[in-house]
Amino acid sequence: MLNVNNLMVFYENALAVNDLSFEIKQGEIIGLFGSNSAGKTTILNTLSGLTHHLKVREQRKGGTRITISGSINYLDADIMSLKPRDRVELGIILCRERHPVFRDNTVEENLKLGGYLRKAQEIKESLQFVYELFPPLIKLRKNKAGMLSGGEKEMVAIGMSLVAKPKLLLMDEPLLGLSPHMQAEVVRATLEIRKHGVTVMMSEQYARPIMPIIDRGYIIENGTLVMTGTGTELMDNPEVKSAYFGT
Amino acid sequence: MVTNFLIYGLVNSAILMLSAIGFSLTFGLSGVANFAHGAMYLTAGFIAWMLINYLGLSPLVAMLLTVVLMGILGALIYRIILMPVRGIVLSEVISTFALGVALIEFFRWKGFTSFDFSLPPFVKGSIEIFGVTIDYQRLIIIGIALIIALFLWYFTHYTNTGLALRGMAQDEYTALSIGIESDWAAMLSLGLGAALASVAAVAILPLGIISINLGYEIFLIALAVSVLGGLESTLGLFVGSLILGYAMVIASTYLGPQWGQVVYLGAIVIVLAIKPSGLFGKYKELEERV
Ligand SMILES: Nc1ncnc2c1ncn2[C@@H]1O[C@H](COP(=O)(O)OP(=O)(O)O)[C@@H](O)[C@H]1O
Ligand SMILES: [Mg+2]
Repeated sequence: MLNVNNLMVFYENALAVNDLSFEIKQGEIIGLFGSNSAGKTTILNTLSGLTHHLKVREQRKGGTRITISGSINYLDADIMSLKPRDRVELGIILCRERHPVFRDNTVEENLKLGGYLRKAQEIKESLQFVYELFPPLIKLRKNKAGMLSGGEKEMVAIGMSLVAKPKLLLMDEPLLGLSPHMQAEVVRATLEIRKHGVTVMMSEQYARPIMPIIDRGYIIENGTLVMTGTGTELMDNPEVKSAYFGT
Repeated sequence: MVTNFLIYGLVNSAILMLSAIGFSLTFGLSGVANFAHGAMYLTAGFIAWMLINYLGLSPLVAMLLTVVLMGILGALIYRIILMPVRGIVLSEVISTFALGVALIEFFRWKGFTSFDFSLPPFVKGSIEIFGVTIDYQRLIIIGIALIIALFLWYFTHYTNTGLALRGMAQDEYTALSIGIESDWAAMLSLGLGAALASVAAVAILPLGIISINLGYEIFLIALAVSVLGGLESTLGLFVGSLILGYAMVIASTYLGPQWGQVVYLGAIVIVLAIKPSGLFGKYKELEERV
């Protein structure tokens, strides 16, 4: 479904992603692991077009020079220079890190905005799905999203991404800062989302909570891919174990 | 006397609100402080005048057409002069300021300086309310201010486009990640702002003549109202307009007409010195960049 080859991303002269190649197959759940500032966000932003957007913006005003090279193929098309919107239309949806929601809007307005590019009828169906997936949101529909707890915000953020109708859902540290119970909820929801035909890539610093559900994982250090394997393979590796599973 | 004060204070507040709303909306939605706002107002006045006097259009048609044309001009201004410097606040200010001065001085140079330039009121005549005589145009201004406020509230809370614009204003990268485009949003914000400046122009200008200096004055009024109420706060826009509107009427009644201006210029300085975020402004939380 997605093939990334020799991807490099520079901010000015600092290398954030180094000669990265990987693939995602249809229907998989892929883990992207790495410590803080390893390059997880940069990778996901590059896939979703945000880095490209930032690059164009900075270029116009002569700010930070961002360089992206290599290739990204999605469903056999080169999407390297597409705008974020075009990628959204192709079904690549990013759920950004730190549970982003539109604070001044209600939960339902947030969810509906997720379907900004879709028809009213389709949005309705997706809303239904989101409320089934996260029943606590039903009661919070009319609440301002800015007032929600971290876990509730994450449900809204994921819900918003779902209403955008992803084929490939990129989740950036969805578990960060959540209670163990909420983490389990998000993990459960991820499996449910996959069941509906969505391919998922999720990044995390700590691999343990999502290890049981991933098909494969990629471990990144300083922008470089250092290890690949199935969940069990990664778990069994002593180095990986101490670095990414905590003790 | 009291009713006179109440009614004319209200009219004045509505005038201030209409004058400021385009500036405030553009700033709230796109973060661009459009220093050409007053020039947009003036340009709208002259365009409407030319459509009526050169093309012979009926005033109502001319005014509607003016609003549409100015909306397009606002969008073009974003596309042509603001897009390249988007995100560099100082450059945004410099380019809109330069454009504003250029437009205003262009009209001065072309001789739009006599007393011949005025727009017709929507309805001629006046009416007596509670013993105060007031012309229909001033009542219409209050009505238009209310309608515009209601329309904008509906637009930003119940329409897809309005919600998307607000989303973009709150969190650009999240908006981008669900397919909203930032240049499109900013273009629309500038266009809407210019269209609103034109609505203000065609509603308010019939009260007097179109004088070149309005290009500067209207911008200063918009700035005063927005700074007092808090930039990007809708409630602030209302309250700021009411406070300044009544303060100006008090000042010009008791101190003399020239004091009206001192009030709003003074307000800018005082508010910035005491509470820079304005009455209802909130400091934006520091958000980390992508
Ligand atoms: N907009 C930016 N400008 C400059 N450097 C950046 C920018 N965004 C990220 N970086 C740098 O790129 C590296 C990778 O960061 P990031 O992708 O955010 O890592 P992670 O998500 O794994 O914590 C870091 O060294 C960070 O400082
Ligand atoms: Mg990150």
